[in-house]
Amino acid sequence: MFDSFYEATTTIFNQSIQAWKESGKKVVGYTCSYVPAEIFFAADILPVRIRGIETEGMDIGDAYFGPFICSFPKCILQLAGKGKYRFLDGAIITPGCDAMRRLDECWRKAGEDYQGIVPPFFYYFDVPHKTLPHGMKWFQEEIRYLIDFVQKHFGLSISDEALRKAIALYNQGRQMLRELEEIRTRADVPITGTEAFAVTVAGTVMPRDVYTEKLGRLLESLKTRPPVSAGKKRLMVIGSISDDIEIVELIEKNPNALVVAENLCFGVRYEGNLVAETGDPVMAMAESYLGECTCPRMFGKYPERLEILKEKIAAAAIDGVIMQNIRFCDLHGSEHGLLERDLEKAGIPCLKIEREYGPLTDTGRMQMRIQAFLERISK
Amino acid sequence: MRAEVKEYNFDWMMNRGVAAASLAADGTVKERDLLLRYVPYFKGPLEAILGEGEPGAEFLKMMAKFFDNLLTAHQKGKKIAATTFCFSPAILYAVDAVPVTFEILTALASMMWKRGAFDYLDFACEAGLTETSCSSQRGAIGAYFAGLGEEPDFMVCDTPGVCDTNANAFAFASNYLNKPFFQLNYPQRLNDGRTSQYHIDDFKALITFLEEQTGNKMDYDRLKRVLLEVEKQDTIIADMEDMQMAVPSPVPPLYNMFIYAGRFICSGLPEYTTALEKMRTAVRRNLENGICGLKSGVEKKRLFMCYIDHYTVDMTFWKWLDYKGLSHLGSILSKTFMEGTGYTKDIDGSAYKMDTSSEEAMLNSIAQLNARLPMVRSIRGPYDQPNMWLDETLAVARAYKADCIIYNGTPGCRNTWGMVKPFARDLEKMGYPTFIMYDDAFDDRVESWENTRARLEEFFTVRGLL
Repeated sequence: MFDSFYEATTTIFNQSIQAWKESGKKVVGYTCSYVPAEIFFAADILPVRIRGIETEGMDIGDAYFGPFICSFPKCILQLAGKGKYRFLDGAIITPGCDAMRRLDECWRKAGEDYQGIVPPFFYYFDVPHKTLPHGMKWFQEEIRYLIDFVQKHFGLSISDEALRKAIALYNQGRQMLRELEEIRTRADVPITGTEAFAVTVAGTVMPRDVYTEKLGRLLESLKTRPPVSAGKKRLMVIGSISDDIEIVELIEKNPNALVVAENLCFGVRYEGNLVAETGDPVMAMAESYLGECTCPRMFGKYPERLEILKEKIAAAAIDGVIMQNIRFCDLHGSEHGLLERDLEKAGIPCLKIEREYGPLTDTGRMQMRIQAFLERISK
Repeated sequence: MRAEVKEYNFDWMMNRGVAAASLAADGTVKERDLLLRYVPYFKGPLEAILGEGEPGAEFLKMMAKFFDNLLTAHQKGKKIAATTFCFSPAILYAVDAVPVTFEILTALASMMWKRGAFDYLDFACEAGLTETSCSSQRGAIGAYFAGLGEEPDFMVCDTPGVCDTNANAFAFASNYLNKPFFQLNYPQRLNDGRTSQYHIDDFKALITFLEEQTGNKMDYDRLKRVLLEVEKQDTIIADMEDMQMAVPSPVPPLYNMFIYAGRFICSGLPEYTTALEKMRTAVRRNLENGICGLKSGVEKKRLFMCYIDHYTVDMTFWKWLDYKGLSHLGSILSKTFMEGTGYTKDIDGSAYKMDTSSEEAMLNSIAQLNARLPMVRSIRGPYDQPNMWLDETLAVARAYKADCIIYNGTPGCRNTWGMVKPFARDLEKMGYPTFIMYDDAFDDRVESWENTRARLEEFFTVRGLL
């Protein structure tokens, strides 16, 4: 049941992308959850999240990025430079954070040295940092420009009707992910955190209709699956971007640990947000994608994010929160400082871990800290 | 934080140093020399500033006025707005609020105190900011987190999309200190109609926020007075910039710092105008006499700092420039991008124009001015996009006949570290020897000044510049 999700999650050029390419259709990658994937599904283009797994070495990443930069965009650039993203017909860069938005220049500049690594459709999607009316207006316009650009570049037409259908399909998947999240909040949890995270990440790189169908079957199977939560501490993982299931696996290697919730960019944080299926589809996508403010890039919205987190912690009866941030990720790193203060005050134990993205070279150090944390919350 | 550091208020301590120095400037040479014997830790920077004569004295008086405004604001029933160097304080003066600009206070502490801003930098991390966040905010913010500064009433910053780390520090501070917060936001481009409309829409939202926080309705007569003063100031700066194009440059290196420090804390205040006028007089005198602004009178090479300067202990960077015969042609911080400046001719649509003919025109003017402050102007979008950092740097380097370009920042500057290597390569391709410094402009513990200096000297030697 989980094999196809695992394969999709742990491989850049996974089988479903290979099959899509073999059918002669286009693939467009995007770096941030603020890009409405529905646009591409409506155009019969496969949208996939650009990821950094499978990185070996950092010679290319380090040649373009400076030293004081998060390793996630460096890993992406490394993979691009090595030709691992040559299957992309397009790439969209967004200002999710400064390091990620600089991938725009570094990727283009690396393309001057490594021929053919910049996809023919290379687009900067300018997402504002506020939800005031002019911010929403700007974002709607950006979505319309993106649609226009896709239409012109790929010589196709994206109708409102096609967008509505895509929204409906994505919402179906979102509802299922919400259901999965709800199942994980129960006293008896039939799925490990690693499995659940693999399922969620897979949704960002698989054709949505295929994914939704598989997800439906998974949910059905969970109804009869025995629980895996007995005697375990219920943990939540939050923080910097993570598309690597190894980080959850590392936590769950401890026999008394189970990750029952996460609040991560590749997790249900975004994938759980529904988009209105009536009215103007562009406005609906703008409202949903920008309006939720669940990422620290939306400055000044910390109180809202704290409340969302507290609700999730209460719903899933969390025993402890593991806050991980990639080194040089100030947005999550600093917000963790506030969250630690406020959650601990509310009686919720927290562990802050700074790490590098990429091959988990410092697993020993991280594991020791996780084990110490588990000891603390087991007392 | 060490107990002894907690014994002294941060801004009060800085004020006493600056105010006493400004008074010393009015005394006799003998009196001044006597004073310097009693301030061994401040001696170096004060000597350097007072050594600039009247402009240095006026700069100190302007700083003293800024601190006096800050320390007496609450007594006078005014609100204190914590803000950042890329946000024009003019709008705050227009609503009768008092700005406190964290980066300037960090720079002052870094330059003036034997221990720099180290204790405060560390305390900000104890409070929860990451140690990799930008030290320019972190220094002063640390002191304010520790309750060693006047309590701000609200926070205003800009730059999301321009510098996350900056905005993040203010967002953190607003939560840590439980103060209302407003962030001005910028799209990636600068000079198209859609972007300009976004600027003014966001600026109007800012005005609403300021009115709510200060309890004062925007007084457009006062705004007009402030903006006219800003225009006068930017005109004087533009005059000096024109003269700075001469070879040798008649502008002393330290004036660049005077220019932007004043702009970031006293824009629109008459004290800043006075200081600028004194500087312009001195620069004009130098130009008329064919004298270089360097102490030695010999300009060996001309240097453009494409980002920020180096502020750590005892103003060593500025002394080194003078000692080595390097004319400082300004930095991203010192250029105003007011219409008519030499460097903006090359980059169409990059300048702003002051128009005080109506309320709407004034709001548009200050929104456009703000949109051209450092970082906001040039690193909001891809560096090689029209009007952005590469265009700006090349335009300035050409106009000022720079011999080389140096990048200096802080490890916290994610925005520039994200692309400075390709940027430097592009500058090199255009014929400008470009050096990337790996120090921290505010924290000598990242790299000692001695090491920084050695690496700078290596660059000048290896590239055959000196």
